[in-house]
Amino acid sequence: MVIGNYFIALLGFFVCVANAQAAATDQPQVTFGGFGSLGVSHCTMGSGDYVVDGGIPKGPGLSDNLSTVNDSRIAGHMAAQMSPAVSVVMQIDAEYHSGNSYEPEVEFANVKYVLTPDVYTRVGRIALPTFLESENRDVGYTYAWIHPPVEVYRQEQITHNDGVDVNYRLQTGAVGHSIKAIYGRTTIATNDPPALTTLSSKHLWGIFDTAEFGPTTIHAGYQERDTNSGYILTGLAGTWVKESDLSFGAQYDPGDWFAISEWIQRKSTYKNNAMYVSAGYRVKKFTPYLTYALSSQGSFLSGFPPPSPDGIRLANRAQSTASLGVRWDFRRDTDLKIQLDQVKLSDNSNGFLANVPANVSLYGSKFYVVSAVVDFIF
Amino acid sequence: MVNLKLPEIIRNYLALPLLLAMVATGAHAEVVVIVSANNHVTSLTAEQTARIFLGKTTSFPDGGQALPIDQIEGNAIRDEFYTKVVHKSATQLSAYWAKVIFTGDGRPPVELESNVAVRRAVAKDRNTIGYIDKRYANRSVRVILEP
Repeated sequence: MVIGNYFIALLGFFVCVANAQAAATDQPQVTFGGFGSLGVSHCTMGSGDYVVDGGIPKGPGLSDNLSTVNDSRIAGHMAAQMSPAVSVVMQIDAEYHSGNSYEPEVEFANVKYVLTPDVYTRVGRIALPTFLESENRDVGYTYAWIHPPVEVYRQEQITHNDGVDVNYRLQTGAVGHSIKAIYGRTTIATNDPPALTTLSSKHLWGIFDTAEFGPTTIHAGYQERDTNSGYILTGLAGTWVKESDLSFGAQYDPGDWFAISEWIQRKSTYKNNAMYVSAGYRVKKFTPYLTYALSSQGSFLSGFPPPSPDGIRLANRAQSTASLGVRWDFRRDTDLKIQLDQVKLSDNSNGFLANVPANVSLYGSKFYVVSAVVDFIF
Repeated sequence: MVNLKLPEIIRNYLALPLLLAMVATGAHAEVVVIVSANNHVTSLTAEQTARIFLGKTTSFPDGGQALPIDQIEGNAIRDEFYTKVVHKSATQLSAYWAKVIFTGDGRPPVELESNVAVRRAVAKDRNTIGYIDKRYANRSVRVILEP
């Protein structure tokens, strides 16, 4: 409800100012665009659903033989330049989520104010820059994979923050830094507990640096917030847990090929790590790639009540995935990708599978996922 | 009324056989990066030029404002520039700008339709930077990079 009001208010502001500006200058100041993906996947695991996001309630595997939920979405993007210093962007995404529907949601909507050529600040709903591909994770056209590696990108379910950020661009010799500080709050719906649960976070803050020199990009970030996840993790209602992410990433992309690796350490009532390495080679319109991703078993931290059964299950999601895929840029602004994943669950883990029936243990299982997607921008 | 000044006539007549020779031998278009003759910048590296055209900086190394002017898709010189200077194919460039636009981080440079249009726009504004086929360079602009 709050989001709805916020959305309407911002949209009204956006349209009024854009119209006034267009009338004043007689130049179109508003740009529209969008992107989408149409994906389908099959999973050989018959006792659980393979879902790439905790917000997705069901997927290929136990629930569906073939499923479109993991990699299908369409999004509209509007940007308005009101003055050299002030601009507004809004992005609305329709993808399968916790409400068992493709109902559109505001992914981000914010007002940007440029203070100096190297400093700007934004207020509103802002994408969270946890990983190298976090802010564009929904835009499949911008990367080689079908979707970012699940073991790492599923560690942080929060994708946007309602608040403020400050961005500072700094050039030191050949190295260009883009430094970002954020503050705010957010609410998400998740099926991870596994019942549908709304998780609220407050006092969310973080600092991130993306450094580029030549074809090399290094990303580092730290963020933390207070989240009302105590009930899920310990069974004690009303308990706020300080959750934090420390993340590093490195990418090398000289043009003909690329290599990328990211790592995250996540802490709540338990601590765990995840990482992936991926590399691809560009041959004309084809980009074959390989990825290996790994998430560790969580170790419980002292100072918290004993974990609940859900807490134990969430901490024990260790798994690894080896992926082989290819991207084909078969026409302008459109690609087709095919990917095969071999997923191995660790000895005491059902991994990130959803809807595994109670009392079913898939510990140590191995299964395959095959996915195809067409990504486009417009 | 035609009122050509003498040096201009000489330039035009000298250029004609040169152009014909280039067409006859199928000479490949050579891209050069230009700024206004009024700009103090005398040279840039490919890396510095790429940063400006990718929107990663809005200033020249000396601190002056840098406003890139692109050529429209389909112009051969555009592919030449992005391959030689930015090291990105048309597809990679498209994916790059999709990332920048859809994260709200910026917009691609303005595009003009020809070498002449870019040269004129760059000559007029000392804050701009463009690239053209070397054959279209004249005294109104300064070549700062020949990749």
